[in-house]
Amino acid sequence: MYDFLLFSHVLSAFFLLAMVVIYSSFALGGPAPNRAVTLAQVLDGIGGIGTIVFGVWLALYLDGYELWDGWIVAAFVLWAAAAETGRRSHAALRLAGATEATSEPTTVDPAMVRWHLIRSALILVLLADMIFKPGA
Amino acid sequence: MSEIAVIRPDSWNLPLFLHVLGAMVAVGGLVLALTYLATAWRGDSARSFRAGYRALLYGAIPGYLVMRVAAQWILSKEGLDNLPSDPNWIGIGFGVADFGLLLLLIATITAGIGSRRALAGGGEATPRVVGVRVAVGLTSFLLVAYAVAIWAMTTKPA
Repeated sequence: MYDFLLFSHVLSAFFLLAMVVIYSSFALGGPAPNRAVTLAQVLDGIGGIGTIVFGVWLALYLDGYELWDGWIVAAFVLWAAAAETGRRSHAALRLAGATEATSEPTTVDPAMVRWHLIRSALILVLLADMIFKPGA
Repeated sequence: MSEIAVIRPDSWNLPLFLHVLGAMVAVGGLVLALTYLATAWRGDSARSFRAGYRALLYGAIPGYLVMRVAAQWILSKEGLDNLPSDPNWIGIGFGVADFGLLLLLIATITAGIGSRRALAGGGEATPRVVGVRVAVGLTSFLLVAYAVAIWAMTTKPA
């Protein structure tokens, strides 16, 4: 059971980071075909839900971790902030019309870049929190 | 039934962080490259082909390098490099990483040459460029192999 939970949790985190890489390409002016935007959204959804569900499950399953441990509470806050900034980043991408484009040069909305940078930083800190487990 | 959480020594955290981050960027670069290359294969502009090549060159390869160097670092920290023989999970990791590098380089070079030819040809008819098919095949295979490596790294089969 532990192996399944850990693998699912880590795989979900890989999905989230893959979404960050895809959005980084959009933010740098790379092509944003509908397929890539949709894939990024799917990875964001599965990764976001997977990390939180399997993460909570792991914390409950393992002796030695509690949901109110400081580093786990910090992870909840970072996860929620990343989800909200991600929503704003995607909204700005849509407003810029990138989802209507195929592979032609993309107009990059500064708001999309700003929210994406914040989300990327939050996810990076979240990953560091998961590995360094401050206070554990 | 539950298990006791294992706490690592603090000195292992930085190499592990870099190892995982590098692997995540490498996989993200492969996913992005596959998306662009598949778009190019289906007949979209050569710009997608070029973007797929750049995703491999600037995303997957740097991520791979960070992952691989940090892997050696943490292997040394944990003292696993002094074992008489590698445990299975380390063998799987090394196998995927080292053989995967060869495939990653081939995919990148193939995509680079192919996308340049496609752009030189006016950016049309990319499906006829063999390079895009080779790059899509290799990138897909690498993603499956990396999924196996992630499984081996997390579950550590005996």
